[in-house]
Amino acid sequence: MIDEPDPTDLLQEVLDQAGDGFVELRSHRKRTRGLAVEKGRVDNARTSEHTGVGVRVLVDGAWGFASTDRLEADAVRESLEQARRVARASRPATRQPDLPPVELARGRFDAPGVEETLERPVDEALELVLGLERAASEASTSVQSAHCSYNEVFEEKGVVTSDGARAWTRLVRPELSVGAVAARDGELQRGYEAVGSTGGWECLFRRRTGEALAERAAKTAVDLLAAAHPEGGRKKVLLSPSLVGLLTHEAIGHTVEADFVSAGSCAAGMLGERVASELVTLCDSGRSELVDGAGGTIDVDDEGVEAGRCVIIDQGRLVSYLHDRASAARYETAPTGNARAWEYGDAPLIRMRNTYIEPGQHTLEELIARTDDGLLLDGCANGQADANGEFMFGTREAYPIRNGQLGPLMRGANISGVAFDVLKTVDGVGDAFRWDLGAGHCGKGQPAKVDAGGPWLSCEVLVGGRQA
Amino acid sequence: MSTATIAVERAEAELAEVEERSARLCELGQAGGAEQAEVCGQRTRSRSARFEKGELRLGKASDATALGLRVFDAGRLGFGHTNQTDGAALERTADAARELAALTPPDDANGLPEGGGDPTPVELWRADTAALGVDEALEQGARFVERMSSRDPRIRIDEATFTVGRSSTAVVNSLGTRVGAGDAWASFGALVMAVDGDDVGGFHSAWELVRDLAGLEASLERCADELTEVALGNLGAGSAESYRGQVLFSPTAFLEAVVSPIVSAASAIAVQRGRSSLAGRLGERIAHEGLSIHDDPSDPELSGAAGFDREGQPTVRRTLVGAGRLESLLYNGYAARVDGVASTGHAVGGPRSVPGLGSHGICVDPGDGGEEEDLLDALGKGLWIRRFAGTVDPISGDFSGVAKGARWIEGGRVARPVRETLVSGNAFELAGAIVALGSQSERCRGSERLPAALIDGVSVTAG
Repeated sequence: MIDEPDPTDLLQEVLDQAGDGFVELRSHRKRTRGLAVEKGRVDNARTSEHTGVGVRVLVDGAWGFASTDRLEADAVRESLEQARRVARASRPATRQPDLPPVELARGRFDAPGVEETLERPVDEALELVLGLERAASEASTSVQSAHCSYNEVFEEKGVVTSDGARAWTRLVRPELSVGAVAARDGELQRGYEAVGSTGGWECLFRRRTGEALAERAAKTAVDLLAAAHPEGGRKKVLLSPSLVGLLTHEAIGHTVEADFVSAGSCAAGMLGERVASELVTLCDSGRSELVDGAGGTIDVDDEGVEAGRCVIIDQGRLVSYLHDRASAARYETAPTGNARAWEYGDAPLIRMRNTYIEPGQHTLEELIARTDDGLLLDGCANGQADANGEFMFGTREAYPIRNGQLGPLMRGANISGVAFDVLKTVDGVGDAFRWDLGAGHCGKGQPAKVDAGGPWLSCEVLVGGRQA
Repeated sequence: MSTATIAVERAEAELAEVEERSARLCELGQAGGAEQAEVCGQRTRSRSARFEKGELRLGKASDATALGLRVFDAGRLGFGHTNQTDGAALERTADAARELAALTPPDDANGLPEGGGDPTPVELWRADTAALGVDEALEQGARFVERMSSRDPRIRIDEATFTVGRSSTAVVNSLGTRVGAGDAWASFGALVMAVDGDDVGGFHSAWELVRDLAGLEASLERCADELTEVALGNLGAGSAESYRGQVLFSPTAFLEAVVSPIVSAASAIAVQRGRSSLAGRLGERIAHEGLSIHDDPSDPELSGAAGFDREGQPTVRRTLVGAGRLESLLYNGYAARVDGVASTGHAVGGPRSVPGLGSHGICVDPGDGGEEEDLLDALGKGLWIRRFAGTVDPISGDFSGVAKGARWIEGGRVARPVRETLVSGNAFELAGAIVALGSQSERCRGSERLPAALIDGVSVTAG
């Protein structure tokens, strides 16, 4: 056991003398190790330490925030005064009411894998990335470049609030990616695989070994050279768990973030309404539900609220939005533990954690067999959601399905649809579940480490392939 | 003393402190035996106001330090970053970087860039901008929001921010390089949509950065105009038609779908590592003869302007593509050693990471396609895309994504806004299929300048 001082001791000392009004003090120590290799050359061998305290206050209905990179009581007190000055200078048209009392976290929360990862020598990770880059390079003569990168982020946070939170959390998130570029007749194609988890290497490689990732990346790059583009249009598709994860995150998750709802997202006023096929139950959780190691796992959010499971859509009906403490007060409900800040200098925002669709009853083989004309899509790229519910995300691989039979690999294409409309077309849900957003992050003014997943899913979307 | 004078004195003291801390860490990097050491140090101060639903949500003050040490020992690389400035933290960072350098395999192209000379003069520092504080951020932010919300009651501002900031950046290395500069700016942006009853329009976002406060009002007005005009225009969206043919790209969409992959492929490292479609094509025609792409670090109106790069090398304006021909590649110190040439001053990034390779401020020359209405006339019937939300593979050049803020054009005029419309193509192929470039280059996202582009051969899939 690595012996670390409790960061909440310092925060509590400042808080005890902070005077009246709501005060939230959050220390965040973030240590990173990173390695990157391309074509046999080490491009990155890096350590990083980013530590400080973020201070948020509520004064006369106005929020103020300031931060310091010095973990000393005097520096935190200075930031507290600065945050109060900022709040006093702010004159919001609508005052933020006092936050209602809620149950807040107290105690120490250690995610699995922290000790194991901290004690693992960096040369093991270096050997891993060098070996996997070499394996991808040597997988085919068509591969002319390969890369592999590994990152591990160790985070230690302390949160104390004037209304009772006092939580000390520690976690580690390792991530690994392997890519290969294949060439033929002047054309280049790329294969890419990534995994990420909250936990140690056992979690990181729980489903596939590093060698399997390298082999798959190289094979995809080579196979895509001979692959055609799918034709664009509205199609029946089978989405892989990684794409179901993107669907839940981009199409639904963002539209039910309470700040986005308040601004007028398509989920506004829809609580209790049927928004999806009854086959769909969709959740967001701070825990790694169903399978260990989900990358967005947190025990306690950055307001000191325990981060449990929130059911968003229950058998097709919209039953909850995602809340921080302020939005929960406005909506007269309980906070859902979704307030997250990227680093100490960031104020918490409403963010997702691990978002997923619960598994159903069909095997993948059954879903393929009952598809007359469609595409099986796999491999996720970036995505984006819009206020009107329109979403898009990239896919890297497509396989045509004709009369229940899979055809040869085609190139991926972006897919799009309107969130709730697409979920209403779901007519089959797979029985096998996995977290599969790999090394994914979400951007919303500041990054957030998230995960998402689900089973295979049968639905209809718009595929942006090529036109004749 | 005026606030501007105080700001100047503080900034001078901050820069001197950053240089001293960088020099100290650089010495520690070498003290343990590393052959070469380089430190990039930065001190940043920002004050911001964040608005949600058109109302002030949070005022914020932030002061941060970052120091990044790169060491080379017998061709082996190690890097350490810290935001702590006490002696123990600096020693810990130096030890960590050297320990990594002891483990990594040697690479004969590793090493600090030599020579280079003095930084290029670029006017980034303005005392009046640097003197702005949280009061100004709150006030200007509220005015920005008011400008937008007063245009039309249907406007909804999901999020808006106004930030004033200043930074001091230094690069110090064991070969004697010691450069530093101050920067000051105001930046703002918003995510805006329009709602009319049950009709929720797609959002539009825009961001701007201003260094010279004389241009702030006009920039705020332009940004508010664009955001509200596009958001309101997104209401009542209908369907487009599927086809393959000409599409009019806004400057921002042109940048994202077509120009960015070309710039990525012009990275010397991408060429050296076998992941550039432009490998071996220097001097060849790679695009329509009307396309000229430059990187201009000297334009203070662009956010990436800088007199020196992440390795302390002077920056210069460089033409990547001239009249459709690939004229040059971008080099940092590493890539330059591999090819046996000099760095072009394109090491990019901040103190938290190893220097990368990239552009500072992409500028595309305008063409003779005329104003927006002339380009719409030339399109006649088809799709006009204002923002591209999708995936671009810089290696293959394939792009696919949703046309946002899109309009269906008939008879050279806007017939209706459209939604659920996907566009796809290949950037390297479409660079050769440019039909016309607009006669004016516009500043995009505060960081690039491009004209609109009418391009043939784009696949449009309508929902």
